[in-house]
Formats: sequence, C-alpha cells, structure tokens
Amino acid sequence: MLKTVTRRVFAVLAISALPATALAEVARIPVLVPVTGFLSLEGTAQRNGAVMALEEAIAAKVSVAYEFSDTSTSPEVAVTAMERAMREEHTLAVVGPILGTQMLAMLPLAEEYQVPLVTISGTAKLTEMGNPWIFRFFPGDAVTKVAHARYVVEELGAKRPAILYQTTAYGQSGRANLVETFASLGTTPVYEEGLEVSVKDMAPVLSKAMAANPDALVLHMHSGPTALLVRQARAQGIDLPIIAGSAMHQPTTAALLEPAELKGVCAESGSSPKSGGSSAMEHFAADYRVKFGSEPDAFALAQYDATRMVLAAMAHGAMASAAMRDWLSSNSFEGLAMTYKSDGKGNMAHNAVIVCYDGKSRVPQIAKRYEGVDLAK
Amino acid sequence: MELLQLVINGIALGAGYALVALGFVLVLNATSAVNFAQGDLVVAGGFMGVALAGLAPLPGIALLPFAMILMAAVGLIVSVLAYWPLRDRPPVSVFISTIALGIIIQNGLNGIFGAEPRVAPAMFGTGRFEFGGLALSHQSLAIMLVAALLIGGVHLLLGRTQLGRMLRATAQDSDIAAALGIPVGAMVALTFALAAALAGAAGLLLANQFFVTPADGGNFIVKAYIAVVIGGWGRIGGALAGAMLVALFETVVAAWFDYAVATGLLYAALLVILFVRPEGLFGEAAGRRA
Amino acid sequence: MTRIGQFRAWLGRDVNALLLAGALLLAAWPFFQGDPYSLRLLTLSGIYALAAIGYQFVFGHAGALSLAQGTFFGLGAYAAGILSVKAGLGFELTFPAAMAAAGLLAVIVALPVLRLESHYFALATLGVGQVVLLVAVNWESVTGGANGIAGVAKVSLFGLTVERGWPLMLLVWGLAGLGAWGARHFTGGMAGPKFALMREQPMAAEACGIDIRRLRFTAFLMSALYGGAAGALQVHTVRVVSPEVLEFPIMVSLLAITVIGGRTSIAGAILGAVLLVHLPEWFRPLEKYYLMSYGAALLATILVAPWGLMGALRMARQRWLPEPALPLPAPLPLSISATQDTLEIQRLVRHFGGVRAVDGIDLTVASGEALGIVGANGSGKSTLINLIAGAEKPDAGSIHWADGRIDGMPPAAIAQAGIARTFQSLKLVDAMSVLDNVSAGDRMGVDRRSAHGKAVELLGQLGLADVAWLPCGSLPPGLRRRAELARALIAGPSLLLLDEPAAGLTGEERVSLADTLSRLNRDGMTLAVVEHDLDFLTRFASRLVCLDGGRIIADGSPELVRDDPAVIAAWLGSPPVEACDG
Repeated sequence: MLKTVTRRVFAVLAISALPATALAEVARIPVLVPVTGFLSLEGTAQRNGAVMALEEAIAAKVSVAYEFSDTSTSPEVAVTAMERAMREEHTLAVVGPILGTQMLAMLPLAEEYQVPLVTISGTAKLTEMGNPWIFRFFPGDAVTKVAHARYVVEELGAKRPAILYQTTAYGQSGRANLVETFASLGTTPVYEEGLEVSVKDMAPVLSKAMAANPDALVLHMHSGPTALLVRQARAQGIDLPIIAGSAMHQPTTAALLEPAELKGVCAESGSSPKSGGSSAMEHFAADYRVKFGSEPDAFALAQYDATRMVLAAMAHGAMASAAMRDWLSSNSFEGLAMTYKSDGKGNMAHNAVIVCYDGKSRVPQIAKRYEGVDLAK
Repeated sequence: MELLQLVINGIALGAGYALVALGFVLVLNATSAVNFAQGDLVVAGGFMGVALAGLAPLPGIALLPFAMILMAAVGLIVSVLAYWPLRDRPPVSVFISTIALGIIIQNGLNGIFGAEPRVAPAMFGTGRFEFGGLALSHQSLAIMLVAALLIGGVHLLLGRTQLGRMLRATAQDSDIAAALGIPVGAMVALTFALAAALAGAAGLLLANQFFVTPADGGNFIVKAYIAVVIGGWGRIGGALAGAMLVALFETVVAAWFDYAVATGLLYAALLVILFVRPEGLFGEAAGRRA
Repeated sequence: MTRIGQFRAWLGRDVNALLLAGALLLAAWPFFQGDPYSLRLLTLSGIYALAAIGYQFVFGHAGALSLAQGTFFGLGAYAAGILSVKAGLGFELTFPAAMAAAGLLAVIVALPVLRLESHYFALATLGVGQVVLLVAVNWESVTGGANGIAGVAKVSLFGLTVERGWPLMLLVWGLAGLGAWGARHFTGGMAGPKFALMREQPMAAEACGIDIRRLRFTAFLMSALYGGAAGALQVHTVRVVSPEVLEFPIMVSLLAITVIGGRTSIAGAILGAVLLVHLPEWFRPLEKYYLMSYGAALLATILVAPWGLMGALRMARQRWLPEPALPLPAPLPLSISATQDTLEIQRLVRHFGGVRAVDGIDLTVASGEALGIVGANGSGKSTLINLIAGAEKPDAGSIHWADGRIDGMPPAAIAQAGIARTFQSLKLVDAMSVLDNVSAGDRMGVDRRSAHGKAVELLGQLGLADVAWLPCGSLPPGLRRRAELARALIAGPSLLLLDEPAAGLTGEERVSLADTLSRLNRDGMTLAVVEHDLDFLTRFASRLVCLDGGRIIADGSPELVRDDPAVIAAWLGSPPVEACDG
C-alpha cells in the first residue's frame, strides 16, 4: 500500500521536474474525485476507472499526464482542487467528482476556465443549468430512476411501492425522480421516508413501511444502509421484492450479505461489469482486479469509458479544451458499458440496466435493459 | 408486541452504545478530559475484528479477547500521545488532541481498508430465537450478554479490587491519590487502555450487525457524549442509562415519527433536559472540574 | 517621543516585529505566487481568519467551549446564498443579512444555553448545530435539501462585480482586517481584562461588579456576527451552499485554528487560519493519506505549542530576548466616594446542612467606621462577608445598604452599589500583569488607558509600582494580597470588605498594610475586616465584633473586646492559663 503511494509521489515529482518545453506537449487530465469521506467508495471506483484508462494510454505512448486530487466531501475543497489542477497548462478536460454539490460548485469555474468536466455524478440539476462544459457518462437520475420505477411497475406489477431514500444529495434528487416517474405511470407510493446515513436499526422504518401494506420496497440509498435494510427485512421475514438503487449492484455491497438474503433483490445501474456479457467487459474486469485488487463496479466502468472517450477525442485531434468540448458534444463513442452520445445538454449515457440476484450467488444477472430512456421523451 | 420488539432491538443497540459511553466516562473521570477519539476507537475495534477474521476465520467470541487486548494497546498509545504531554494544560487541549488523533485513525483506516462497509464475524453464529412473535437474533443476544459481562466486570474491577480502588482514587482527586503513593500516571494510562478495550469490544460487536466504515466514528462519539450528559457528567450508571435512552430514541421513537423528527426530538429532549436539569437526569458526579 | 521613536518602541515590544514581518510576508505572498489557486487559498484563509477571530470572543475570551461557531458560519452562508439566488440581492445586502441571521440565532438560543457550564454548554451548542443541520437537510423547499443551492452570484457591491482572484482576495482580507481591528478595539479596551477575570476567576469578577451573563452574551453574539459574516464571504466564494457548511468539520477547523494560533491572540487566529488552510494542500501528494498527515501535524502542533503558536512565540521572546521594562503610564487621581451610607444587618441566618454558620446576627456598620471582625475558625466570619457581598444567599434576615435592601441581590449588583471585597484565598488572574489585574476591577472605566492610570496611582500607594508589568502568578503572596486590595479599591468603593488580608504577610508588610487601611479610613472609606491578628486590627480598627458559633458574642472598642472573658474563652483559646503559658 505504502509502496504504491511512494511510487505515485515519485511519479508526480518526476512529472513536475520535466522541463517546461516538454510539458507543453503533454496533455493534462486531472482527476478530482472524493477518496475520503462518505462517498470515498464511489469516488475510489471513479478514480480507479479514470486512472486505468489513462495509464493504458500512457503505456501506449499517448502524450498525456494526470494528477489526482481528493475532493473529500465539501464543495469548497473541490473548488480549491480545481484551481490547483488548472495551474497546469494544456489541461484538456477534468475528471469531476461524483458528488453533485461539488460538481455544482465547479461548473462556474469550468466555464471561466473553458474546460470540460467529465463526470459520473447523477444529480439531475447538473445538466439543467445550461452549462456547455459538463459531460455526464453515468445515466443520470432522469434515466436510472425512470428505469427503476418502470421495472417496479411494469415488470413486477407493483401497485403499492414504498420508497426509502437517503437524506443526502444523492438520495433526495433520486427520490424526486422516482416519485415523478411513478406518478406518470399512475402509481402513488404508499410510504416514503428519508433516512440519515448513520441510521443503524432499520426495524422502525420497516415497521412503519409495512404498516402501509406495500407490495414492493423501492430503495434509493448508499451501500451500507442498503445492505443493512435488505438484511434486516429478510431477517424479519419480509419477503417482498426489493428493488434498490445502484449501490446494490456494487460487489462490495453484495459482499456484506449472504446469497440467500439477496433472493428477490434487484438493483438499477448503468452497467454491471461483474455480470460479464462480452469478452471486452470480462477483460476489463480481470485487468481491474489485478490492478486494484477489488471488483469493478458500474461507476469504475463509466469513468473508464468517459476517460477513454476523452482520449479518443485527443486521437481525433482535439488537442485544446474547446476542441475537446466540441468533439465530446458532437460525436458518439462506443464504450464497454454502452454507446455514449450527448443529448445536447451533456448527458452522454442514456441506457440503464436492472440486475437481479438469484439467491444462490453474489453475482447479479441482468434482468432488463432500458435503452435511450431520456431520449424517447 | 411490536413495541416490545422495538424495545428489544433498542436494548441490543443500547448495550453497544453503553460500552462506548462507559469508556468515555472512565477517561472523563480519570482525567477531566473528553476523549473525542473514543468513536474512532470503536471503528478501529470493528476493523480489528475484520482484520483478525481475515487471519483466523474464528467466531467473534474467540476473537474478542485478542481484539480487546490489541485495542488496549492502542489505548495506551492514545494516552501517551494525546493525553500525557497535555496533562497540565486546560482540558480543552486534550479535546483537540483527541480530535486530531481521531482524524489520524479515521483516515488511516480509510487508507488501509478502503471506504467500503465491512462486516465483522458474528459472536456465535447467525440465526435467531423466536418466542411468542418476538424475534431476537443470536448476535443481538450476544451483544447484550457480552456488554453485560464487560460492564459487570468493570464494576467488579472498580469496586472489589485493589487496582480498582487505586483507579477510583485517581479519578476522585489525582493530587490526593499521588500523595497517597498511587502511581497516577500508570492509573490514567490503564484507564485509557480499559476505555479503548471497551470501545474495541463495542466496535467488534456492532460491526457484525451494523457493518463498519471508517467514517462511522463521529456518530458514536456524539451518541456517547449525549448519553454521558443526559446521565450526569461523570456518573457511570447515568452514562449507561443515557446510552439506553439514546438507543431507545433511535428504535422506539423512530418507529412513530420520521427519523428526521426523531433525531430532532432527541436533540430537543437534550436541550430541555439541560435547561431543566443542568446537572443531568441523575445528578453530576464529576463536579465542575472540567 | 517622535513618531519614529514610538514605532521603534512598538517594534521592540512583545512579538510585534515578528508580526509585522509576517503581515508583510502575507501581503507580499501573492506577488510571488499570484496564480488563482494561491489566491483562492489566501482568500479562504481570510474567511476562516474572520470566523476564528469571532470564535475567540466566546472560546478564548469568555472561556466557553462553544461548538456552534460552525453553525453560525453555515447559517450565514445559507442566508446569503438563499437571498442571492432566490431574491437576487447583492453582497451589500446579503452580507448584513447573513450577520443578522447568525446573530438572531445567537439571541434565540442564548437564554437556554448560556447559563450552562463547561461541557454542558459544549454539548448544548453542538445540539443546536445538529438541529440547524437537520432543518437545512430536510426543509427542501427553502434550503434545497442535501443538494443545497447552486448558482450563488459572485460578490457584487451595488452592481459592481468583484471577480475572484485578486479583487476577491483583497475584499476578504479587507473585511478580515476590519474584523481584526474591531476585535482589537473591543478586547484591547476594558473588555480584555474583564474577560480574563470572568474566565479565570468568575467569583472575583462578580465581586468586581462585572455582569458575567451580559459579558458572556456579548461574546456569544459577537462570535455569531463574525461567523455569519465569514459564512457570507464563503458562499459567495464557493458559489454553492450545501449542508457541508453546517457539518462538524468546519467547527473542528475553527477550533483547531484557534487552539493552534492562540486562544485570545488575533494574530494567532490569522496565523492559524493561514496555516490550517494550507496544511492539507501541502500534504496533497500523499493522496489518500494526506488527511492523516494533517491530523498528525495538528497533533504535533498542539503538543509542541500547547498555548498556541503565538503563546510559544511570546515565551521564546521572553526567554531569549527579554523585553526592557516598559515605562509606567502616568498616574491618574482616584475618586473615592465618601458617602454617608450605613450597612444594617438584621437577624441574619445562613446554615449549611445542619450547621448554622451564621445564626441570627444583628450588626450596624456606620459610615466611616473601621470594623474588625474576629472569631475562631468556623465562627462564621467568612460566611458573614460572603453574605454581605452576595456570594451567599441568607436563609433568613435582611441586609440593608444605603437606601435599599441588598440581601439576595447578585454580587455584581452589590459591587455596583459601592461594596468591594477581597478573598481569603486569592482570586487573581495569574497569567495577567498586575496592572491589568487591578484594571479589571475598574467597573466604571471606559478605556484601558485611564484604568491603567488609576491602577498606577494605587500601585504607587501600595508599593507595587516596580512589579506592575509582571504577571500576578510570579509574585510572592504579600504582593499578591496587595494587588487584590488594589483591584478592590480601583472602583472607589464606599464600603470595603476584607477577608483575612494579613494572612501570609510578614510583620513589616502587616504594619504597612494597616497604615494603608488607616489612611483609607481617614479618607472616608468604611471598612469591615476579618482577621486573626489583633495587633494588626488594633492599628486601624475603631470597633471590634467577635463571633462564635455564628453569633456576635462581643461588640465594642478593641480594648473592651480584647479583654472580654467570653472572647478569651471562645477565641483566644481556653483555658486562658495555658494560653498564658504558651
């Protein structure tokens, strides 16, 4: 662990020690994501995905360098990190944090610096502000939550869903999209509650939810609380279908639960690298495991795809940040998870999947694919 | 019946909180200082369990003594680093030094183990007892039993042994204790070790049922702090009762109101208690030293 | 002295030369590191410096561990952010509104929270913060919930936009400088020594007529106003407001800045803020271990400099480069109010559990009298003094002073009515100079300069002029007793209550103290002195009373009381024969 850190330090020092003439040639793609604080799990996946794509490119002699900075949990730190990264000349794009409030704070700065922000943050508002410098490579709430709600209503036939969400930026904006989609499908949730991340015992919320007599539990929560709720629901003999947010597709979440507890549990996601599907995907997953010693999830894959699209733009001659923006907004890219193309607002990902666990293993299977969800509207 | 079930859940959770609060109040009495790293020590205990289970896949009850001994060693380090050099300074210095230590522990764990939630091994195994519509998981029962044993053990240690008398003398008045020839420094270090061992036990117990992530410490310390204030600053029995009360708020009150409202009510109750009875529900033991 | 001479003297004092160098360095910094990143860090440093200077009022000066400063900061950020986005207001309105919002919260919570002590106060303020956070997260229609509110405008003053980088940095430091000047003005005046006395010796503060609750409230409110101001600057700098501004890490940063810089030093707050904003940046290359290193640096600093960096600098200066003694300010005449007020005590009772410490005392002290109170240990002498001064409440009976009844009144009000006292066990601020300790008692004083002048006059009279600049803690007991006497005298009381003023003094010192008291009495001051030493008392007392078991057993001229057989039995020790032998 320490060795890799030292190596990175040396790498950074080595880069900054290069003579200025050489620097001008190297394109820079700073990676600014949270690896400490409550979103560090997702942020680390993001970082790994971006770093993997960049190091593959560096190994292939592409003239690109990156510097990585933690954005922790506050907008203030994220903005500072961005100013720090933008000291470097020739920055073509910035990998931005998954945390929506941080992205919102970085948007005005991106506009001033005229540099594209490439992120996987799902917060709906990001692409609604009319800022041309944002590119989102993970399906936003307008995609995943529509798929989420449609699966619950159309595939499971649920009429009385109960929604449990988290009182975080992620939870509150997802919940708004869920409720909206349910309404458009003619369904009204029988119960809704926001939970703090620190809630330990889920019995009280389960008892309140069950009192409303629901026919499906719809979760939109972070990893640990999702696993806690699934486990406690199963322990209390509640065998309703549980359709969770993307946290449940993460291998680290599934690892907290017994396969039997996962029976009847589904999750929405942008993709599911662990479920395989194509040889390219399996290749990616294998490389990722070797490189980082953990299972890849959809966040890692999406940021990997996003970074590769940036590299593809460079290969097509987008060697300035304005050219990068133009290329990203007008071209489509065949990634591992899906095909990415901007809808004109910077939403690049339009597909979502629903994965379900069979109760025998911790590897979910793709149950349903939703394509071009937000484009159809 | 449902209420009874929630109360049972609350007691299991409260038993865990009680261990945290007990460690907090022991250090408070011995040093007049707040150990703000106590919550992070709970988390460290949880990860200790995760790491030990990785080395030897044994049930939690077999790992518990090792985890507690290792955490006691961590507690000694805490006292040497964050308390001893500041013993003659205002207590708020220790407040800050333990906050700094908490930052080190939290981010150290985040670096070593990563941010994903982890699960520690169960004490005896998974499963549940059912009787008359009520359910009690083996782990919940184990938490209650282990916590009761440890609290009872601390009670005996303080009340019935020579060492305990020395610890209590130190807690009551360290100057007089020193004049009586009691090695005050060693007693304070021992108190820190004991507090960390209790935190470690709580961490191991709770990390099975509720998982553990490096960022969990803040929640534990706030709960312990509230428990100790509600129960009366420096009062051991009060802290245990306070811990139970906090846990019952989280289970029973939260079953009637939104979590947000339940949390708001907990703080409102806290402010009302402070306003009406500034010395805590059960009176104050430590006086105004802090 | 010429202007240059004055400046040289200023430079030579304290760590001023170092401070000036630091300030110049700070001002010059952006010229070397003028990129937007360095300017942003400097901007943030200014914002946190402002919040920390505010925090010093409640935490440093009032000595109360408030955990609500982050909440005031966050509330200011929310108020400014919401008004900017939803009402389109400019900074000239959002800034005062942010201060008002924080101030309003302080006023609302002050009543229940400010009367709490130590850790109860800490937790209560933490609880207030948690409730505000809960509201911010859950009141989505106004606060935007956990997502917060984006699109906060840049600072714009009357339509003029202040761009980030240089202009914003200068504005922030301009306001921080203004805040520092205000704080310096406030605590550099009479509030400084009064705060110190209230923090270190609350009983003595009350006896000096200081209204502790009011002073605490002032400190709390000032903290809130500064916090709200800093929050407004933060939100217009970061341009997003979200619940993170209300969370605990901001509070921890402010606490760390204050402790590391120095709890009452404004320069310390600035130093701490610059350091703590930059520290994590320096550790960035350590990636995910950088926060751990930050924690370690924090811990190391508090271990190495437990009194803060400014404290450490001062100590180093005193050790390696002792200051030349400062000239004393010119003495100012004291006003002694020679009133015709009478103290009248009737059937006064005070018991502790089953013990009647004061058991039905009737006593009248006429204006201009010099009364000695004698009696064995535990006879109720100190309790009587405490009852008169208001430190204890009687269980029955009454005390009248001048035209009003004073029993049951708070000590500060009694002091304001012209009754001053000293304590049996000295209650001085050890770390503060004799001059400031004495000045703290000048409850009428409007500025420190005139208080110092009066103090110098008194110190001269009491033979303390040579030690005026030394900290009280470094003096022998005799001099400290006199310092406490000077503090009691500076407000010009009509009635002076002394509790064993001769304890610990040498024979010579006793004579000189008795002469001083005698002179004060001649000037019209009424005295009531508890003492064991009869010879000392007889040098100035015109009347003695002897207490036994909480009652007066003898009352009259010193000679009469000294020879009273009851007094001899009760106090001078029974049986008398042995006393003669001894």
